[in-house]
Amino acid sequence: MSEWRVPLTDIAISEQDVQAVLDCLESGWLTMGPRTQAFEQALADYVGAPHAVTVSSGTAALHLACLAAGIGPGDEVIVPAFTFVASASAPRYVGAEPVLCDVRGPQNFNIDPEDARRRITPRTRAIVAVHFCGYPAEILALRELCDEHRLVLIEDCAQAIGAHVDDSGRRVGTVGELGAFSFFSKKQLCVGEGGMVTTADEALAERVRLLRSHALSSSTWDRHRGHDPAYDVVDIGFNFRLDEPRAALGMSRLGRLEEGIAARRATVRAYRERLAEVPGIELAFDEAAVERSSHFAFPVLLKDRPTRDRFREDLKENGIQTTWYPALHTFSGYRGYAPPEGLPGAMAAADRHCALPLSATMDMAEVDTVVEVVRAAVA
Amino acid sequence: MAATHSFPQLPLFDLRLEPQDLEAVAETLRSGWLTLGPRTAEFEQAFAAHLGARHAIALSSCTAALHLAYLAAGVGPGDEVIVPSFTFAATAAAALYCGATPVFAEISSRERPSLDPAAVERLITPRTKAVCVVHYAGYAGQADVLKELCDANGIALIEDVAHAPSATLAGRKLGTWGLAGAFSFFSNKVLSVGEGGLLCTDSDEVAAFVRSRRSHAMTSGTWDRHTGRTDTYDVTGLGFNYRLDEPRAALLLSRLQRLEAEITRRRELTVRYRALLAEIERIIVPFDDADVPSSSCYVIPIMLEEDGRQAEVSDRLRERGIQTSIFYPAIHRFTAYRERFPDVSLPVTELASRTELTLPFYPHMSHDDQDRVATTLAEAVAR
Repeated sequence: MSEWRVPLTDIAISEQDVQAVLDCLESGWLTMGPRTQAFEQALADYVGAPHAVTVSSGTAALHLACLAAGIGPGDEVIVPAFTFVASASAPRYVGAEPVLCDVRGPQNFNIDPEDARRRITPRTRAIVAVHFCGYPAEILALRELCDEHRLVLIEDCAQAIGAHVDDSGRRVGTVGELGAFSFFSKKQLCVGEGGMVTTADEALAERVRLLRSHALSSSTWDRHRGHDPAYDVVDIGFNFRLDEPRAALGMSRLGRLEEGIAARRATVRAYRERLAEVPGIELAFDEAAVERSSHFAFPVLLKDRPTRDRFREDLKENGIQTTWYPALHTFSGYRGYAPPEGLPGAMAAADRHCALPLSATMDMAEVDTVVEVVRAAVA
Repeated sequence: MAATHSFPQLPLFDLRLEPQDLEAVAETLRSGWLTLGPRTAEFEQAFAAHLGARHAIALSSCTAALHLAYLAAGVGPGDEVIVPSFTFAATAAAALYCGATPVFAEISSRERPSLDPAAVERLITPRTKAVCVVHYAGYAGQADVLKELCDANGIALIEDVAHAPSATLAGRKLGTWGLAGAFSFFSNKVLSVGEGGLLCTDSDEVAAFVRSRRSHAMTSGTWDRHTGRTDTYDVTGLGFNYRLDEPRAALLLSRLQRLEAEITRRRELTVRYRALLAEIERIIVPFDDADVPSSSCYVIPIMLEEDGRQAEVSDRLRERGIQTSIFYPAIHRFTAYRERFPDVSLPVTELASRTELTLPFYPHMSHDDQDRVATTLAEAVAR
């Protein structure tokens, strides 16, 4: 294991979290049951969505969101080109075609509603709005666009649990017909592998519940409690279940989520203050976005790709772990998905950004260490 | 499991974890590293060694393992995969995920309810890409015969080993006969962890494909980047998130140490169960006593000789506090499959699925509880 002075992310599991998992393991009941139900209720309350259905990953959440929305072969789904690959894989899983659209650019990594509008064709069925790095996309504008064209809006909230869409306190995952969340180990609310679908529509929630467990008409838990052993399979479903130990861990950690997000935001503000005047470093997003974001990652901008790559090398040599997200159409598996005129906003954002270390447990000494190395690297 | 009013007094399965299992999970959680990393790698190596397979790749479920096994066998749109119908729906659903058609083949008999090689042979067409044998209840299907048949026809044999993590055929571990074996670590399984699965293979090519596809066909993982091995990644195809995580790998690794001992206990109890059940009139007890030493003894299936009494006998047992299950309702009779494949007729499978009952069974089951199940079953059947 390499020894980073400051790793990209760090997870602090409390003794209370550990105990919650151990209690669950001691109970001997490990598959979806009372803990999953309690976690789902708590998540629905937190997000402010009538229904929350836990699944095995954010990818599974997007997949089931596409299926529940009725997306299938021949359909097109508009997806920003600057996102994690799962956003575009999900439409492909259901036989639809992801149509890549541009993002605002290096200052705002999120989907450009005007470019999304230009990509709409008679075959378009949905738009996937990604709240990238925790910063909310222009979701209310996208809602209008989708309503105007009768499209389904799917919010990819994998990186953005707890982010606000406006100043009213409304959270991401409540504007689209469906929201897809991730509890992957780097995320603000992490359990290892896990995810969730949120929706206000009872029928969509029912559909997601059905398809996450092989479209069985009854569950192991139902049968354990004395229900009839016979069951039917009413559709082609999957095994996208979360299990009870992960639900227990998630439930325990959910209580500290707001505190964790506030700590992340404070760290981001400390970074921004210290980096604002550093020549060669540009900050992405504005103060309003920082206020609404739930801060999965903290990206800064360099002049261009060669500068960014050298910058990352410098930081690595000094023990600071960083990362960056490539644009989807630069992957060999996604060549041919970009429009002929290119996607300049996504390319510029991808080429110029570098994500610096960020976690809920980072202290100011670590921020100062990173900032010092950053200053030296750009000097 | 605490007994409460609505819970069965004798459940179908009952999982007990040991203090060292809990300690392994606690230690992993405290380490703060939860995604694919050193514990998963260690479990994979241990499980591969246990099987005598070249590669073992931990996955999110057996369904995921079957999906990737079929994809690795080259199964795609327009292809056919021959599967039994007397199995869990995932065996067939995974073929549909690939855009292929599951072709349902008959089982040999109610006494030996696994895929009938002669039936498989009749169903092979130029579009057949793979055959999936299910080692039902932990007892070996005819993987040897099917392997020859598949080789002769240039198609892949996939093994659904969800029930049979340490069972053998001719001294060779199940899962290692075909191109790939798909294991389940679901909570009611012989080696359980909650949700989890694994694919084993001797093929380097299949292993590389499965490792790539389980994590979005990315050329590096979070752990690689954390350890400074790589900086960035490419995405080379359409992959999935079929990863296991570290707490589950730690739990599996801890439980794997006791797997053989638990299976030995299962075998002893199975022999005893079989002797009790042999005394009961009008039931069939599948398999032979001679099969037990090479089986993982996952569950105790019985078949009622008479058709049409399954619900009544199951209800009667439930009234007496004994939970039963049906392993399995025939897949081709489910609504979703009848709609897609209306013309399938498999008389032996259909009779088996209408007459099967699975009885409570777990390694710490007491002799008294076994006696109670047998006595109650005898009464229920005799009525």
